[in-house]
Amino acid sequence: MNSEIEPRLDKLLAGMDDVRVKLIRPRRIRIDVPSESLPTLLELLQGKASYVHLSAISCVDWIDNGEFELVYHVWSYESQSLVSAHTRIPRDPGVYLSIYDLYQPAAFFERDIHEMYGVFFEGSPDMEKFILTEWDGPPPMRKEFNSEEFVNQNFTWEEYRPEWLEEIEAEGGGIVKPASHARR
Amino acid sequence: MRAENYESISHPPSNEFELNFGPNHPGIEGNYAFRVKVNGDQVLEAKADAGYLHRGFEKLMEGRLWIQNLALVPRICVPDPVPMEVCYSQAVEDLCGLQAPERAQWLRVMQLEMSRIAAHLFAFGGHAATTGMYTPSFWGVADRDLMLDRFEELTGGRVYSIYNIPGGVRRDVPDGFLDRLASLLDYLESRLADYDNLFFRNQVFIRRARDIGVLTQAKALKWGVTGPNLRATGLAFDVRRDDPYLVYDQIEFDVVTEEGGDCLARNLVRRGELQQSIRILRQVTARLPDIEGPVRAPIPNPLAWNVPAGETYTRVESSKGELAYYVVSTGGDKPYRVHVRGPSSMHAVQVLEKLAIGARLEDIAQIMFSLDACPPEVDR
Repeated sequence: MNSEIEPRLDKLLAGMDDVRVKLIRPRRIRIDVPSESLPTLLELLQGKASYVHLSAISCVDWIDNGEFELVYHVWSYESQSLVSAHTRIPRDPGVYLSIYDLYQPAAFFERDIHEMYGVFFEGSPDMEKFILTEWDGPPPMRKEFNSEEFVNQNFTWEEYRPEWLEEIEAEGGGIVKPASHARR
Repeated sequence: MRAENYESISHPPSNEFELNFGPNHPGIEGNYAFRVKVNGDQVLEAKADAGYLHRGFEKLMEGRLWIQNLALVPRICVPDPVPMEVCYSQAVEDLCGLQAPERAQWLRVMQLEMSRIAAHLFAFGGHAATTGMYTPSFWGVADRDLMLDRFEELTGGRVYSIYNIPGGVRRDVPDGFLDRLASLLDYLESRLADYDNLFFRNQVFIRRARDIGVLTQAKALKWGVTGPNLRATGLAFDVRRDDPYLVYDQIEFDVVTEEGGDCLARNLVRRGELQQSIRILRQVTARLPDIEGPVRAPIPNPLAWNVPAGETYTRVESSKGELAYYVVSTGGDKPYRVHVRGPSSMHAVQVLEKLAIGARLEDIAQIMFSLDACPPEVDR
């Protein structure tokens, strides 16, 4: 059954010139699609090919190319296959369309991506902060945000010297810090 | 107070008030909060509030070696950590073109099912406590502890075992382990009758849980519900059977379903799955002695391991539902991106928010525990 999925999807998407369908392994299909065609693609997949379950939306920050990659993973309970639709949007301004009308679970993933990467999804029901309620810095999952640098700038390191450690150190043991990890 | 006993006094314009349910509340699973607006004790609006245990797992993983992340991933779900390890290991294997040896695959199945039993015992123990029945929760925790003893013997760790590595598992079973596991399975099976009498067939529980938090199959599909919660609406979908991984296609088991879609049905599905996990483990203990070979494939020096560039999406069935990892490598010694799709990211947020509306305040805890939500999967 699985070998038939690829030709079936090719037939379904015949009208869309800009998509590329590739069978990665049994039950896993990759589709590359330009951002303007993604909503149409998902509508076709959901309406005509029974991909009714949105498993996840993943965001990858390709900072060197100035792009965000959005990956929509949809599963079909009927053909038992998972399609990962890959699309790319410019990092700046980082605005895209919500697919909440098609898939309600998108609301969670879009809100999460907005919070962590700063991508705004037009039409998403809730773009309020969720996890980082008291955070007013840049979206932290972006590649330019360096956690260790942030910590060094905003906090001071404290010496941690409990008695038991001193005892161990007196015997020649202790916490070993490789040169590359030395903080100061 | 029950709605019928409530006499409103003059405090116009309404008798609605807002209530913070959590983050410190016995009726909340983990560090999580729920802001509800109630009229009397009926919930009018509900809003999930996460972020109380945010450790930034996904960001941390980008800064650690592939092998170091194995110590991090199980911490995303405390009650059921094994699927996290297996799913992550499978993703790395996928990127490297590695295949875990057959014996390792059987050992992983064994460990996954042991973890599922432990998680389910914990889950319905917790649910019982939300309905005011404490004995099942003590029994559940005590019996789970026996399973943790086996984990300790097998892996050295009781809760976080970190037994899986990309390419297989860390070591083989100790001598006599399979016999001890088999006798534990006999014991757990014998306990089911006690659990039935005390909990699953107890009218105190049945009357309390029936028709509460009802989820129809259409709604469940629309809201992205997976796992036991989906099967409680009558849809027989299980990643183990329908998108098989490891050696699940060689194992006989039934996909347990119920029709009710309510708190009761969700618990009965878990009870059925406990039995099925025992059945799977019996097959594993019978087959494992005949399967010879190494327990892990050779891997490069893990401290200088450059995983080939690529991306993969791997899924497993955890005790809570569909768990998936999207992993991207650019050929470096650390992942470029790891995205964790935990089942609770649906169950604990959108589904819970919607099921709570119209429910009574006293049932919120019950609904949350019946969905078996795990907040760290939201706060990754």
